Amino acid sequence: MNFLTIVIRSLWRRPVRTSLTLVGISIGIAAVITLVGLASGYEKSVVRQLDVIGIDVIVSNMEGGMMPKAFDESMKAEIAKLPDTEKVTTVLMQMLSVEDAPMMMVSGREWEGFTWDQLEVEEGRMPKDASEKAVVIGRLAAEVLKKKVGDTVQIETDEFQVVGIVDGQSVVENGAIILALPLFQEVSGYQGKVNFIDIKVPKNTDSGRITALCEKIEALFPEVRAVKAGEVVGTSQGFRIARAMSWSTSLLAIIVGVLGVMNTMLMTVFERTHEIGILLALGWKRRRIVFLVLCESAILGLLGGMVGVILGAGALKILELTPTIRGMLEPDLSGGLVIQAICIAVGVGVVSGLYPAWRSSRLTPSLALQG
Amino acid sequence: MTYDSPHAHVPGPVFEADQLVKEYDDGRVPALRGITLRIEDGEFVSIIGPSGCGKSTLLNMLGALDRPTSGSLKFKGTSIPDLADPAKYRGQEVGFIFQAFHLLPTFTVEENVQIPMFELPWSRAQRKKRAGELLDAVGLSHRLGHLPTKLSGGERQRAAIARSLANEPGVLLADEPTGNLDSQNAVQIMDLLCRLQTEHRITLLLVSHDLHVASHANRIIRMKDGLIVSESRPGDVTHSPQA
Ligand SMILES: Nc1ncnc2c1ncn2[C@@H]1O[C@H](COP(=O)(O)OP(=O)(O)O)[C@@H](O)[C@H]1O
Ligand SMILES: [Mg+2]
Repeated sequence: MNFLTIVIRSLWRRPVRTSLTLVGISIGIAAVITLVGLASGYEKSVVRQLDVIGIDVIVSNMEGGMMPKAFDESMKAEIAKLPDTEKVTTVLMQMLSVEDAPMMMVSGREWEGFTWDQLEVEEGRMPKDASEKAVVIGRLAAEVLKKKVGDTVQIETDEFQVVGIVDGQSVVENGAIILALPLFQEVSGYQGKVNFIDIKVPKNTDSGRITALCEKIEALFPEVRAVKAGEVVGTSQGFRIARAMSWSTSLLAIIVGVLGVMNTMLMTVFERTHEIGILLALGWKRRRIVFLVLCESAILGLLGGMVGVILGAGALKILELTPTIRGMLEPDLSGGLVIQAICIAVGVGVVSGLYPAWRSSRLTPSLALQG
Repeated sequence: MTYDSPHAHVPGPVFEADQLVKEYDDGRVPALRGITLRIEDGEFVSIIGPSGCGKSTLLNMLGALDRPTSGSLKFKGTSIPDLADPAKYRGQEVGFIFQAFHLLPTFTVEENVQIPMFELPWSRAQRKKRAGELLDAVGLSHRLGHLPTKLSGGERQRAAIARSLANEPGVLLADEPTGNLDSQNAVQIMDLLCRLQTEHRITLLLVSHDLHVASHANRIIRMKDGLIVSESRPGDVTHSPQA
């Protein structure tokens, strides 16, 4: 028998209460995993999309929340004149409810712009030209919308023919409906407007020059922000809000977890007054008793954290399969998040054990033995 | 303040109490009303008296399980209430035996005996070995892996006695050790305690309200209402220490 045996034996002694506490913590941790996993999955999917398409700089008006505000497409011509802009193209992107899908990315892309290049036709073909009333859809979008080549899809008030199903090599692309810019401008009522200008710089352009390019664009057009692809996630308000929301919701779940463990540990300490009296009479230092209680609550946290990670991972998997999420983002369960969540859980355990541990160390041995 | 390590020979009494007072509930319950006593090294002393006269309270003060309200109480010249490390004192200088055994219910007999050893720098194997030896000495080697609930009262008290000896204390404080036992088991436990006391030259303080049990001692202290009323030495005069 060693010290850990003693810790585990006490937890094991009340299996029902221990399990209920574990459920409490694990739900909190599962919430952390799910919410933060979704937010970071969203970020990762977008980063990956930009990377696959080969976008180096994005110009947009960042104030519009999740989807930036539209601006005049004429800006593109000015930007294309700047040095270090190898390719420049415009995009009008909206999140729309399309037929049965409550949220779908619809991306109107300047015809012959480089954002079409990485799309691989899996079935059917690309639109013939910018005026053909046709769309291609990513393969996830095809699944969600249950569309085949030759079907029609209704966007806003108009119908378009699905001429191709494409693989865009990123979840965001595969979950999108892609069509020529003018068509989308017309149905969405944004004639002459776009909300993104995507820029590709020549290969091996150093980062300093890209920064300079961004600064020039912002100087020319104060109403927009030009952001390097790698920094989009860090600077965009939408991403920041998503992240903050997921963490603050998680925090609530964590607080509930703390109260649960604290309650359990307090009950444990009250119930075991007599036992603690025995330990004191047998020469256990108060410090060791504090440590015993803290270890118990830390182990509760650790176990709850592990169960929570499993639950959260399960929840993410389920979400990944739901039509709304599917194609929008790839839920992300990184090793870092798992470690973070487990550390939080152990922290929750230790913090909740502090007060009960302190209480237990204040007992007078003779009184504890009587009670 | 400090005190000497176990078995260091310090001339003078092991315990010395002077006008020791203990009141509970802000003075409304005077449990000890001025106890003065001396206990010499290696003595076997019984404390006897009616229920509620303060015997357990006195033992708790001696064992640093509670603090006196006033008066002085010394262990080998060091004030017990002022001990720098009361846990070390409880764990290594004294051993406790209680009427209700106070074994931990979720631990086996052998594990219970190991509990006091956790404050010593011993390895797991050393603890296990020592617990085995102690249980052997009290005749419980066949019960190592049993939970206390599976044991008879006499066996539980043997386990508790083994546990009280875990860290080789110089003093045993036994509070009605036979109070929960039938007469046959009581006799066996008293035989065991007497044997251990002589073999290990332990100072044994035994609280009882049973004169027969108390008369095993070299000296009997009688208490009433929180005071010592008389003392006698059963061996000196007669088997009836009635004053
Ligand atoms: N924790 C306590 N709070 C209040 N009164 C107590 C407490 N412990 C003991 N007493 C009282 O102190 C007196 C002595 O008790 P105790 O030492 O247990 O007697 P004994 O062991 O001789 O039966 C009794 O009147 C008892 O009710
Ligand atoms: Mg008593």
